Amino acid sequence: MDVIAIEFVVPVVSGAVQGCVYGLLGLGLVLLYKSGRIFNFAQAEMGAFAAFMTAFADQGSGFLPDMPVWAAVLFGLVTGVLLGLLVERVVIRPLFNAPKVTVVVATAGVFLFLFAIEGFLNGPGPRSATRIIDGNLLQSGGLRVTKLGGVIVLVLAALAATSALFFSRTRTGTAIIAVSQEPTATRLVGISVERTAAFTWGLAGLLGAIAGILLSGTNGVIAPGLLTGLALVPAFTAAVFGGITALPGAFVGGVVIGVIESFAASNIPKTIIPGSGKVVLFVALLVVLLFRPAGLLGKET
Amino acid sequence: MSVYAPPAEDAAVAPAGRHRVGRSFGPIRWLPRILVLLPFVYWFLYRIPSNEAAAPIAADACIYAIVGLSLNILIGYTGQLSLGHNGFFGIGAFAAAYSLTVRDVPFAATFVVAALCGALFALFMGVVALRITGLYLALITLVFGLTLEESLFEVKFLTNAGAGQPADRPEFLFDDRNFFYFCLCFLLVALYIDYRLLKSKAGRALLALKENERVAEAFGINVTAFKLLAFVLSGTLAGVAGALLAYRIGIVTASGLGFNLALTFVLMTVVGGLGSRLGVVLGASLFASLGFLLESTWVHSVQSFLINVLSFGNETAKTNVESAIVGFIGALGLLLTIVLNPGGIAQQISPITRWLSGKPFSLHGDKEAGPASVEGSSVRA
Amino acid sequence: MSVLEVRDLSIRFGGLQALQDLNLEVNEYEIVGLIGPNGAGKTTAFNCITGFYKPNTGTVTYRGQDVTKAPPHVKARMGFGRTFQNVGMVKSATALENLKTAQHAKAGYDVGSGLLGTSGSIRAERELTAKADAILDLLGLADIRDRRVGGQSYGTLKLLELGCALATDPDVLLLDEPTSGMGPDESDELGERLLVLRKEFGLTILVIEHHVPLVLRVCDHVYVLNFGRLLAEGKPSFIQTHPEVVAAYLGGEDPEALAATHETEEDAALDAQLEDAVHEPVEAPTRRGRKAAAVVEPEPLEDDVVELSEPAADPIVVGGLADDELPGDDSPTVALSTRRKARTAAEERAERAPVSRPRRTRKKTS
Repeated sequence: MDVIAIEFVVPVVSGAVQGCVYGLLGLGLVLLYKSGRIFNFAQAEMGAFAAFMTAFADQGSGFLPDMPVWAAVLFGLVTGVLLGLLVERVVIRPLFNAPKVTVVVATAGVFLFLFAIEGFLNGPGPRSATRIIDGNLLQSGGLRVTKLGGVIVLVLAALAATSALFFSRTRTGTAIIAVSQEPTATRLVGISVERTAAFTWGLAGLLGAIAGILLSGTNGVIAPGLLTGLALVPAFTAAVFGGITALPGAFVGGVVIGVIESFAASNIPKTIIPGSGKVVLFVALLVVLLFRPAGLLGKET
Repeated sequence: MSVYAPPAEDAAVAPAGRHRVGRSFGPIRWLPRILVLLPFVYWFLYRIPSNEAAAPIAADACIYAIVGLSLNILIGYTGQLSLGHNGFFGIGAFAAAYSLTVRDVPFAATFVVAALCGALFALFMGVVALRITGLYLALITLVFGLTLEESLFEVKFLTNAGAGQPADRPEFLFDDRNFFYFCLCFLLVALYIDYRLLKSKAGRALLALKENERVAEAFGINVTAFKLLAFVLSGTLAGVAGALLAYRIGIVTASGLGFNLALTFVLMTVVGGLGSRLGVVLGASLFASLGFLLESTWVHSVQSFLINVLSFGNETAKTNVESAIVGFIGALGLLLTIVLNPGGIAQQISPITRWLSGKPFSLHGDKEAGPASVEGSSVRA
Repeated sequence: MSVLEVRDLSIRFGGLQALQDLNLEVNEYEIVGLIGPNGAGKTTAFNCITGFYKPNTGTVTYRGQDVTKAPPHVKARMGFGRTFQNVGMVKSATALENLKTAQHAKAGYDVGSGLLGTSGSIRAERELTAKADAILDLLGLADIRDRRVGGQSYGTLKLLELGCALATDPDVLLLDEPTSGMGPDESDELGERLLVLRKEFGLTILVIEHHVPLVLRVCDHVYVLNFGRLLAEGKPSFIQTHPEVVAAYLGGEDPEALAATHETEEDAALDAQLEDAVHEPVEAPTRRGRKAAAVVEPEPLEDDVVELSEPAADPIVVGGLADDELPGDDSPTVALSTRRKARTAAEERAERAPVSRPRRTRKKTS
């Protein structure tokens, strides 16, 4: 491969794969925003919690028996769902009539709480994370795509497509949308707002768990707060970029953000602008919010 | 032509049914209140700063309280959720340290520099807030704070090539107790400004535009200008607080000025009680001193009991729990506050504060009057 | 010179033409009614006049000055006081705080001296409180002074909102359905109040109102909107019997009025005039003189209008208060309006007999 190809192809491919990671996390954010106008600042940490559980179960450390990988992953996913349900029941539901800002601050509180609990269970240091699959899919020159990266792309595409179908085709999906738009009217036609919210948060917990397990896998290690620091803001940016109410938008936005960030990081030297990836992210988010608030795939309301 | 009736000074003029709080008691009624307050004043203004270990923490409490007031102006009064206050705060810290150490700006002037820098960046965020509102604003401020942390706070000339920018106090402030009083003066000024803000038309304008921009406009309030004013005021206070922190620590680095700090700022303001001056100061002091309280006072025994319970006596678990207990208690406090007690500390202590302000004692808070509480912060998506 | 003049105002929201070539004119010291069925564009017109909407075409002129593009807060400072259809107040604040907020533009000190707490600003604050108290007394709302606005009944809110609009020290007052949420008696009382307030504050008032007796009682002139167009304009009693208006607006509610229009010879004449007006709009004797669908001011009706200034002669007003019973009259020492001026002889005349004002002979001011 010649130099130009490397300069272009490497950041694009690695950025796109990394972007899918953001998109995966962004999917849960979109779901919660779409269903209840909530920005969940604990989404990444909910995923991390599930990843921790998977790692504990996989490695048999602490209080859990040693399990095979598939069982550990299943255990992590179940924990994710339960965590989502718990958060909804204990924190979100009592705040049903509260201003959205309060709810958002509450999700930040959930993040800190999970951060502390993970600290209790694991300590502040890193722990090696569970990789569901090892090996490289592709390796040539500076380019390397792991099999896990491939799995992430496939999972994200599949999830984005199914969840989009879920919202447009199934009864539960339309009920969730209805609740988000007219809670009172929806209650009147016999849909339980509480049950719908619980379902949504359970689903968000599942999506978060999938994202957390895959993400910590690509990352190699997991530590309290690590996932939030690495991926939460890009995931939000991806979600907003793609259109916060459009589920496939998280996919598109994630890839775009990943590519932009990786281009900026590899082409702008640290000596000129440190943290150029974040700066570009900020500018991109600002531009999208200022000039196309509905995002790339969202509908203007 | 404009001959207004003077405000009703004597009760005879005041129309019936108007709530004039008993002027008839005279100065006597203040006596028990002052007696109750005196030990606290003695404790906070003399005993704590005299303790060598506690004085820096007390200074921290003042600094956090200024940030809390700054954040309260935005969230509590104006309804703009800022998750990027670590940015304004950090800019103030770096600006003060840089101008003092590298540019040889006089000590007093570094505060002006810090205030200006904080105000400038806040003005930028304010301009953004004119177009982007609600949760999106929360998001963009969050990203703003993170971006500053990772880019501007890593710029070589500011950070002394990554080693951290030194900020040495002048001689008269070497003593931690003096430094605490120094910070306290700033806090008092901030409190005065906050008090005047709510007492004057600017504060009323902010509260009006928070609740309904159209109504505010119909009242002749320039919504754009006052939003920007709120951001500038908030950024100024945060910048000054950052400068104080720079001198408190003596060296400024990017670590510790990140996402968690921004969250802590929001948490302490919400736990303290949005819209309440005293509540915010108490909440900020609590968060600033939480680690210290848990480690070095009688609370420690409660804490070690908790640690033993939570770790089931397991030794590794014990070190883990010890490292995370402060965050755990902070997060738990926040969640409990939001879910069970949205008015925060301010709401809890409202019977006492009402009594101290000269009203008769009653356990039920005054629901009718008072500045807006949490319920008023109507930020829409 | 007219206080407020709207010419050829049009605004479109997507596919909906909310207002089409609206022309209206409000003269010094008049109370002008703006009526029409729901969705006719009345509130939209208010929003255009007060600057909340930017009209696509047309101009709004205030005392000879083009203010079409001025933002709402600037207009509020100029002297546009307004109320909202769904109560525009700071609900979490007390009545007193609301009235003080409303005096924002006339607070008498700048933000900086307010933050510093200069003695001037503190004195000015005291005056704001005094004026707020005076308004509360004037409206009989002194007992909710320190109560949070949010918990009050709708009628009280509407009245307090009127107080807030007064507190902005308006020259022109735009009231959007001031009687909604009030019973018939309260509504009639409000009508009397408006007359008193006009006198007390030297106000010019434009009011959107559904309560017909109120419109008939207090308005000097009425504009009728339908589907975003001006349907008719004229004296209230004329509008009351105007067939198109009756059909569009009163029709369903008041079949007798509809029947009545075809029983008298006067109405036949009116119909004829109306026909003329429709066919020859340019020459029709209208206020603006053009583009209104049907704008006539028939001579025969003027006698009826004269009666409007004598409450006893008006059979519709039932529960109105006599002027000396109104709470406003016992606080004459507090000057509430800085704009209230020594009234000109013309205004005094207008007050005695609104119809005698030489409306039709006025030339366009442009």
